[in-house]
Amino acid sequence: MSNVILFNLTTVLFGAASALYVSALYAKNEKIAVFGSRTCLLAAFVSTAALGVRWYESYRMGIGRIPVTNLYESLVFFAWSVNLFYLVVERKYANRTFGAFVMPIAFFTMLFAIKNDSSIEPLVPALQSYWLHAHVITCFVGYAAFAVSSGAALMYLLKSKQEAAKINDGIAGLLPSCKTLDDLIYRAIIWGFPFLTAGIVTGAAWANYAWGTYWSWDPKETWSLIVWLVYATYLHARITRGWHGRRAAILSIAGFAATVFCYLGVNLVLSGLHSYGS
Amino acid sequence: MVDDKQAPSPMDRVWNFFTSVKLAIITLIVLATASIIGTIVEQNLPVEKYHQIYEDWAFALMDKLSLFDMYHSWWFLLLLVLFTVNLACCTIDRLPRVLKVVRNPRTRLDEGLEKSLSLADRWKKKGTVDEWATRYADALSSVFAKPRITRGPEESEEVHLYAEKGVISRFGVYVTHLSIIIIFVGAIVGNVAGFKGYVNIPEGGEITKVPVRGGSRMQDLGFALRCNSFRLETYPSGQPKAYVSDLSVINDGHEVLRKTIVVNDPLRYKGIWFYQSSYGEAGGTTALVAVTRPDGAPVRMLSLAPGEPVRIAGYGAIRGVDYSGDYEGKGPALKVVVEKPGKPETGFWIFSTPGADAARKDSLVFTFGGLNAKMFTGLQVAMDPGVNIVWLGCALMVLGIIIAFFMSHQRVWLKIARGKDGRVEVVLAGSASRNRLAFEKKFERIQTGVKAVEP
Repeated sequence: MSNVILFNLTTVLFGAASALYVSALYAKNEKIAVFGSRTCLLAAFVSTAALGVRWYESYRMGIGRIPVTNLYESLVFFAWSVNLFYLVVERKYANRTFGAFVMPIAFFTMLFAIKNDSSIEPLVPALQSYWLHAHVITCFVGYAAFAVSSGAALMYLLKSKQEAAKINDGIAGLLPSCKTLDDLIYRAIIWGFPFLTAGIVTGAAWANYAWGTYWSWDPKETWSLIVWLVYATYLHARITRGWHGRRAAILSIAGFAATVFCYLGVNLVLSGLHSYGS
Repeated sequence: MVDDKQAPSPMDRVWNFFTSVKLAIITLIVLATASIIGTIVEQNLPVEKYHQIYEDWAFALMDKLSLFDMYHSWWFLLLLVLFTVNLACCTIDRLPRVLKVVRNPRTRLDEGLEKSLSLADRWKKKGTVDEWATRYADALSSVFAKPRITRGPEESEEVHLYAEKGVISRFGVYVTHLSIIIIFVGAIVGNVAGFKGYVNIPEGGEITKVPVRGGSRMQDLGFALRCNSFRLETYPSGQPKAYVSDLSVINDGHEVLRKTIVVNDPLRYKGIWFYQSSYGEAGGTTALVAVTRPDGAPVRMLSLAPGEPVRIAGYGAIRGVDYSGDYEGKGPALKVVVEKPGKPETGFWIFSTPGADAARKDSLVFTFGGLNAKMFTGLQVAMDPGVNIVWLGCALMVLGIIIAFFMSHQRVWLKIARGKDGRVEVVLAGSASRNRLAFEKKFERIQTGVKAVEP
């Protein structure tokens, strides 16, 4: 399967990019980070091609379906989204230090992915719906945004500690200002939030079309609601009660932890309807 | 909330409690935490299961707290009510103020306002105030938005231009909050006026009532639903590909609708939806019989249970009575008995060769389609008159969030006044409710556009 080879290559590239970004931070060398960016860009092309090839291969097998329907595919799609979202942020904020905190998320996701079954299986009847596309894509764009936000939140916690101690050399010196980081945490969340909302709504619409109930308090549904509530709390706390800085950063990290649990924990720990076809 | 020293009255305190964002944040956190409990404690299992999992004292405690059907417990519903009341009160409290500001914007750039705005620019021009006011109004229209023009105070020679964009962004948050209330209303309507049920129908069987979920009540459909056949399609690998039920809606003895449903493609009639949900073997064997006209046009597929007559409208009744694996060397065959009104019964064998039965010169031709283990199809049945209200709420929610976070109320003021030195003094100022960085760039463009104006 050539798509799997391309995804393996993507994993290597994500790993290389993470290593380059991290060593650029330690060596305080911007040039290394530039290579990190190029690696990310290359990985974006390779992983996009891999998704395309996988889609095409499914048609050649006579199955013909979007490659976002099992655990392996959803993980690589998540890593793909994180990488793209990250590249946009890097360009927009003109700072490459984010990479050391965000790209490892993509890398470890891929490492986890390649340990799972990568064969292209036909769709079980429950997944044969056009709602699948809208539901999965909206959810994962949201997840990717939350991943970037939590990466920035981690940087914020590092930076604020050192800013308070008036340390300006070391790694913290290279990090963007606390203000910029706080802004990025917020901005990534306001992108993720409407996508998550749309993801929950399309999921509800699909559930209603598949079995006549738009909400049944299934663990996956409930956890998506919990994630939604955490970010709703963040937004209210920040906008109307002026929660900035540490507390907001911690909420963003809590939100991403809930997201990861909603995405993987529910399937691995709890039982329910979203068993990725297994 | 309270701006004077007077102690707030009890009513004020209650109102302040329900309109506070603090309450909203606490409710959100409590709702999230409670929801987690409901995913850890499996919901709605049979009682024996809980006894296996938990010790007696733990079971008694959890039962008392309704943790086994938590999302429908009185205290969870109370939390949702509190959440809704909070939302509604916040809206009632704040929306009129926003409306007031939107209806009567500050169109005059007085000194207080000018000082509060970080984006501002000043310059001087020769000429008259009115001339420049006209020119700048045109310029502002082309680079930003058409301004409102305010003159005065009376004796002073002063003109204020005010232009705005994206007023709607002020309402995004209220649209979002309203959408949640709409969704709850939709859910209540569905719960009160609708029903959910589940029913098994064997092939060839018909139902007119559905047992309602979570109760012993039977819901009368007002029509009959027949399962003509069920089949399971598999991929070459043996994995299930499709669960297919061929259903007919029968109203007053007539088939009014026929549809083949699969998972994700339900049948709908008179607001009641039937969803493919389950299947199984119903016990017994049926014989498949294709009914066609003499010219070959298909009429319907029959699934005959042994000895049970099936009525064909305008023809009569047919039942299968015998089967042979190889009848007189002509292959598998089914013996059927046809009963037409006012005529004696006739029995004959039918075969799987298409058209072989045409020799009988009857108005219908039967072809044997083989034997089949009799299946039943399991259908979820739902009537939810509130569901469209829910979708309206969902659409408004996404829309409201996008408006609230991605649009910004941008305001630009231009004050043109006669200065002490006789020249025309111009002040340009602007503000945005959101995304100030992007507005700074826009303000620069407005600045350039307005300043480029020449007499």
